Amino acid sequence: MNTLNVQLFDLTTFLFGTATGSYIAALYGKKEFLARIGTWICAAAAIVSTAAIGIRWIESYRMGIGRIPVTNLYESLVFFAWSINLFYLFVERKYGSRSFGAFVVPIAFFTMVFAFTIESGIQPLVPALQSYWLHAHVITCFAGYAAFAVSAGVAVMYLLKERRGGDKVTGGVLALFPDTKVLDDLVYRAIAWGFPLLTAGIITGAAWANFAWGTYWSWDPKETWSLIVWLVYAAFLHARITRGWHGRRAAVLSIAGFAATIFCYLGVNLVLSGLHSYGG
Amino acid sequence: METVTDVRTEPVPVPAAVERKRGKPFATEAWNFLISLKLAIWTLIILALTSILGTVIEQNQPQDKYRQVYEDWAYNLMDRINLFDMYHSWWFLLLLCLFALNLTCCTIDRLPRAIRTVRKPKLILDDVTEKSLGLTERWKSKGAVPQWAEAYKAALARTFASPRVTETDGAVHLYAEKGVVSRFGAYATHAGIVIIFIGAILGNVFGFKSYLSIPDGTEASHLDVRGGKEHLDLPFAVRNNRFWVETYPSGQPSKYASDLSVIENGREVLRKTITVNDPLAYKGIWFYQSGYGEAGGATAQVSLKRPDGTSLGNLSLAPNEPVGIEGYGTVRGVKYDENYQGNGPALQVKIEKPGQPASDVWILQGRPEQDRLRNDTLVFSFGGLTSKMYTGLQVAKDPGVNVVWLGCLLLTAGMMISFFVSHCRIWIRLSEGLKGKVEITAGGTANRNRPAFEKTFAAVLTEIRKEPSDNAKENPA
Ligand code: HEM
Repeated sequence: MNTLNVQLFDLTTFLFGTATGSYIAALYGKKEFLARIGTWICAAAAIVSTAAIGIRWIESYRMGIGRIPVTNLYESLVFFAWSINLFYLFVERKYGSRSFGAFVVPIAFFTMVFAFTIESGIQPLVPALQSYWLHAHVITCFAGYAAFAVSAGVAVMYLLKERRGGDKVTGGVLALFPDTKVLDDLVYRAIAWGFPLLTAGIITGAAWANFAWGTYWSWDPKETWSLIVWLVYAAFLHARITRGWHGRRAAVLSIAGFAATIFCYLGVNLVLSGLHSYGG
Repeated sequence: METVTDVRTEPVPVPAAVERKRGKPFATEAWNFLISLKLAIWTLIILALTSILGTVIEQNQPQDKYRQVYEDWAYNLMDRINLFDMYHSWWFLLLLCLFALNLTCCTIDRLPRAIRTVRKPKLILDDVTEKSLGLTERWKSKGAVPQWAEAYKAALARTFASPRVTETDGAVHLYAEKGVVSRFGAYATHAGIVIIFIGAILGNVFGFKSYLSIPDGTEASHLDVRGGKEHLDLPFAVRNNRFWVETYPSGQPSKYASDLSVIENGREVLRKTITVNDPLAYKGIWFYQSGYGEAGGATAQVSLKRPDGTSLGNLSLAPNEPVGIEGYGTVRGVKYDENYQGNGPALQVKIEKPGQPASDVWILQGRPEQDRLRNDTLVFSFGGLTSKMYTGLQVAKDPGVNVVWLGCLLLTAGMMISFFVSHCRIWIRLSEGLKGKVEITAGGTANRNRPAFEKTFAAVLTEIRKEPSDNAKENPA
């Protein structure tokens, strides 16, 4: 029997699934009301998952190991999905287009589905993880990853639309997308949020390593992959300000950056070995 | 195709060198290459791609391990190009140098111009400037130029930023700006990166890393550094008073701790309990809790009582080391059995009294009163084995680490400025018009986030145009 917080997270997963369905149906059926339902479901998911995080936090105190719930793979996944959702809702509101939903909310959904399949208990922290730097590290990294997720989703939209002639398309799903210029801009803006967050994430991670082991950088696979992600986005930023490198190439770099992000997050633990304890 | 988005509204200026006369083609070409953003992008991508190698091939493993995995030819090739320690290989360092060089040259090329633009801003709203601005507004007002200039100056200062006033023939120009630092965000970011490199180099040249194992109750001051190739004596000693592990109710470790003292000239000068994530620092040398283990043989804890129950204290028995008891004899622990005849942990002690044959006695941990049955003058009871621990300390001296943190700070601050501060400029020109009216032109621009600036601009103008003192009637053109 799962505890309340996990049940609420399961409900969140379900909500993200339904929202994904409505957004996609809205695009294909060209029914605005379906997309509006998607937005309401996402808002509900935001409330439910925020409550779940709070409850999990309180439950950890009841168990005598009180701490922010950002310290194992399960918690980082739900935090990631939570951030994507909030980031998405913000973008949707600001840009007044619900077409993004079909490309961004699925990322949150699949993240939660993955979380659903793994160990969800609250475990006490091993000594190495007992550090405020760690909390700051996880929060900044995953908020950054969430911004990259939004950027990559939008980059896919950009590429789809650009391949079919950009803003000249009339009719069809693509006509519902915002202008390529707006998409291109949003790809950049999301990264302009994600990049400083990732930078802060890498720095707090280095500070943590320095306090725990006396080296701020040791080229272990997880660290190196976070640097790779950082370099790809740095390339993106400079590509954007160079003639001939924005638009399509920038969108491709954004997607490549997100692929590297996912590998850094999960691939390193599943495929490579290293110091980091997540995923075990 | 040039897409000027509303985030970065001004394209990056073409490098100065491109505009320079092509006197020395090769030198110019080389310089243009070194300062180019294209080189920066490719260096970043190549650094990212090559870095992957070192995460796929485990680094710095013993030779045998690689030989098991790779064929001979592959091993030789990989060894030749330092793939087993690639982050310190000559080619990776060369790549990093190219990257730093690119960054430095680019800064040399652009920073002076950025400073010039900021120090000598365009104070006058002439026609050319006016045409280049995205936002302009014109109106006319009754009255005299100086009077309106004063009024708008005050209004601008109140609603936006204090303007600079320039008079040209027949016109007064107000220029106000905000967020100039925005022009330097990228440079601060780049400087941060270079400073981090410098910090890392300082740490590598003047610092060291080492590892110390100190058994409980002993001290150490000798270090092996650079993989055991060099030795170093600390000007002080570190004593491990005690190492211990605390656990959660579930039995998982919750805390590794060492009670450490720094001994200098035979005196304790500092004492601190360190845990993982909470190191000890003394004279620039840091000691981190990083491991532990059992240090040699365990000792048996035995308590002594008189038959009437008065306690005489505890004995710690090391294996086969006789311990004397005044007025009694000597006792030594000889054997330990985890489960002696099904009665749980027990210790066999050999008791030797002067002039008597030695006797071997088993004392059980689970039955503290059992030894009374011997009817001796002392009653022994076994309190269990305690093993002596050693603490494993990572020792580091890194004089570059604060430089690295400084670089990180600059990097992050520069980035925030770069992305979130916009250099907003507003000009107002007042000139004498016909029929005793003043012609006013306002213009504005921002280097990023134009939509936000459009709102600011509109709000500032609305405020300003309310300004007119009651005696002067407004008359929008
Ligand atoms: C990992 C390394 C680097 C990072 C993190 C970095 C970071 C940044 C950031 C955050 C910006 C502002 C971006 C924007 O306004 O959209 C920027 C701008 C810029 N960077 Fe870099 N950079 C790096 C490497 C380089 C290198 C090697 C060069 C060498 C040419 C370079 C040249 C520039 C230029 C010319 C600008 C535009 C400056 C301006 O606003 O006028 N950067 N960089």
